[in-house]
Amino acid sequence: MPMRLPPYRPLSPEDVRKIDQTSRRILERVGIRILEQSHLNILKAAGAIIDQSDQKVRFEAAWLDEILARAPSQFILYSRDGKNDVHLGKGKVYFANGGRVFRILDMGTGGYRLTMLRDVAHTATLVHCLDNISLYIIACQAHDLQPQHYHLNDFYHALNHTTKHVMGGCDSREGAEQMWELSVFIAGEEEELREKPFVSVITNPISPLTIDGNTLDILSFCCSKSIPVTCAPAPISGATAPATLAGTLCQMHAEALAGVAICQVFSPGAKVLYGAVPTTMDLRHMEYTMSSVEMAIMNGAAVQLAMIYDFPIYASGGVTEAKRPDIQSGCEKTFSNLMVAMNGADLIHLAAGMLDSGNSISYEQYVIDNEIIGMINRILSGISVNEGTLGFGVIEKVGPGGNYVMEDHTIEYMKEEFFYPDLSVRCNFDIWEERGRPSMLSRANDLVDEILDDGREGLLDTDLILEIKKKFPGIQNL
Amino acid sequence: MSDFKGLTEAVIKGDIQTAVAETQTALDAGANLQDILDKGLIAAMDQVGEKFSTGQMFVPQMLRSAKTMQECMKLIKPLFQEDELATKGKVVIGTVRQDLHDIGKNLVAMMMEGAGFAITDLGVDVSPKDFTQKAQEVGADIVAMSALLSTTMPAMRETIEALQEAGIRDKVKVMIGGAPVTENFASEIKADSYAPDAGSAVIAAKKLLSIS
Ligand code: B12
Repeated sequence: MPMRLPPYRPLSPEDVRKIDQTSRRILERVGIRILEQSHLNILKAAGAIIDQSDQKVRFEAAWLDEILARAPSQFILYSRDGKNDVHLGKGKVYFANGGRVFRILDMGTGGYRLTMLRDVAHTATLVHCLDNISLYIIACQAHDLQPQHYHLNDFYHALNHTTKHVMGGCDSREGAEQMWELSVFIAGEEEELREKPFVSVITNPISPLTIDGNTLDILSFCCSKSIPVTCAPAPISGATAPATLAGTLCQMHAEALAGVAICQVFSPGAKVLYGAVPTTMDLRHMEYTMSSVEMAIMNGAAVQLAMIYDFPIYASGGVTEAKRPDIQSGCEKTFSNLMVAMNGADLIHLAAGMLDSGNSISYEQYVIDNEIIGMINRILSGISVNEGTLGFGVIEKVGPGGNYVMEDHTIEYMKEEFFYPDLSVRCNFDIWEERGRPSMLSRANDLVDEILDDGREGLLDTDLILEIKKKFPGIQNL
Repeated sequence: MSDFKGLTEAVIKGDIQTAVAETQTALDAGANLQDILDKGLIAAMDQVGEKFSTGQMFVPQMLRSAKTMQECMKLIKPLFQEDELATKGKVVIGTVRQDLHDIGKNLVAMMMEGAGFAITDLGVDVSPKDFTQKAQEVGADIVAMSALLSTTMPAMRETIEALQEAGIRDKVKVMIGGAPVTENFASEIKADSYAPDAGSAVIAAKKLLSIS
């Protein structure tokens, strides 16, 4: 169903203009610190103003606009089978899980443990099977992998367990190269991957207003290979950004624009997403608070800021501080995912699976979030009003006192009008008792078992797997 | 002058300018040094602690008050005899090698500084060698390490080994922390202490050096 007009905007057009102007002033006057001379040289050659003494690059307004104009307003994050391509910049909202945690809540044991390579494979399988999660972000650190072939392995096992687009962070340029070589091999040709990239890379600046040399190495490599990227600022209101929402947005917008601009200097036309991960600090005790209601508002506002430039956005939603799937996780996740979606974000990451301020995941949370997102998608598609749905004919036919259960009209519309949850408990009390008092969580647990027990091992072609393993001996088995 | 109301109020407010001026006025008026300290500054910080624990003050305010007190101390310190006013302990702190996360580390450093420790902050991506050298150079009582990536935690063990090799492991206490770090990990790598947040880091540091 197509999305209708976004019904909620945190910023007025005047607010948007003021924030954008302040951000541009930050870029022009304060600048971005870049901790690597070679990159400063590249930016200088391209026309940026460099303050050599304090390693800062400043963006003069006209130059900034000229560079930003090179960035595409639409592009596609391809799936490998063409069934789940993500069309950015087309007004459609897509959701992705969240990445790179170190801990998992293991419902089998009820406790937490470090994440392993098999968790990469399992979460990829979950995303592959869950309809409302459109692409897979490498979900966790595989603690059973050695650093030297790290990204070769996490991307390989992700690609082998989902045909959806795979996004991930890379630790270094070498890591990005491993990922790229593997992807070229799977694509068959370098040109093929360049045309239809089914992998993309996430990086972050360091708020406030700093970008690490290693991050720029990764970005410049990916942009040169036409691998889509984002350089997504993660300012924390009250810690690494002003303790006002407007101030945090000004800084974040400046950082995000700098990320887009620098990628365009590296490779004009580079496929880059404007990134936004603004969060907050609970200043009572300095507890990091990823999922505050202010985080939801700011991510909604970030969409408005990206829209001024017509850049596709990688925004954030669906996080929680809760340590288990519970009431807190349910409401925190719903607030941010819904609000950011209603603002029309192209891609909402962190939308599924996350717990514990981005430190942990649980498989059950993946399927629960998939259901929350299903409801959000239903909200976005709105109420369809036309001759048929108005239903005068059937109302006249049934007349006062009848019912609609067996009417053709009911049978015609019942499937598309309603969202049918898999996990919410809707049965009546007696049946609920009979079924052993299920809850959303217990049903999520059952669904996870069903999906993972199904033996969906190895989506890549068997011959290809053998060839890959011959070509890349660094690949470990699960 | 026996009334330090203006000074205590300024410290509680975190108004550095007024507090420093009040301190200077008290000194000029010939007030007793120990009184300025006890009835002025420490009395103020006691109230700050009280207000913080009952939720009337937030962390930024508490840190501002501590900072205000330190600025006042700069005026008083030179007037005390060397050994009358020792700082609580010397702490060398940093985020370990290849780790760039510093928000938590900065908070720990700020809180410890506020509690009277002398802090040397080495920043982020600090190698075992740099930790060791600095600890030797300043004669550290505590080496405090932060790691936010499970993949950089091994650098904590290496740093402890480097301290050992340099022959100063028994002279310094090692404290570690950061989201993926645990009490178990601390005992596994033979660190002396682990603390889960900045407030408890201060308590743990005091305990390590047996100070109150
Ligand atoms: C903010 C953030 C960033 C910022 C850092 C900005 C900065 N200036 O520090 C940016 C965006 C740059 C960043 C980058 C990356 N990050 Co990061 N980041 C975070 C995030 C969201 C919050 C960390 C934070 O500041 N918390 C707030 C502070 C107050 O809490 P704290 O650090 O835990 O500190 C408290 C206690 O732990 C303790 N403490 C801390 N240090 C010490 C020291 C001592 C001695 C003691 C006693 C106590 C103590 O006291 C503190 C105060 O109470 C965490 C998730 C999380 N919730 O922790 C991910 C997280 C740590 N990052 C992660 C990752 C993967 C990365 C990247 C690799 C991402 C990428 N691009 O792929 C890079 C790595 C860069 C590098 N080489 O270090 C993962 C780590 C997974 C893992 N394997 O362990 C996490 C868990 C998030 C995730 N799921 O992706 N990150």
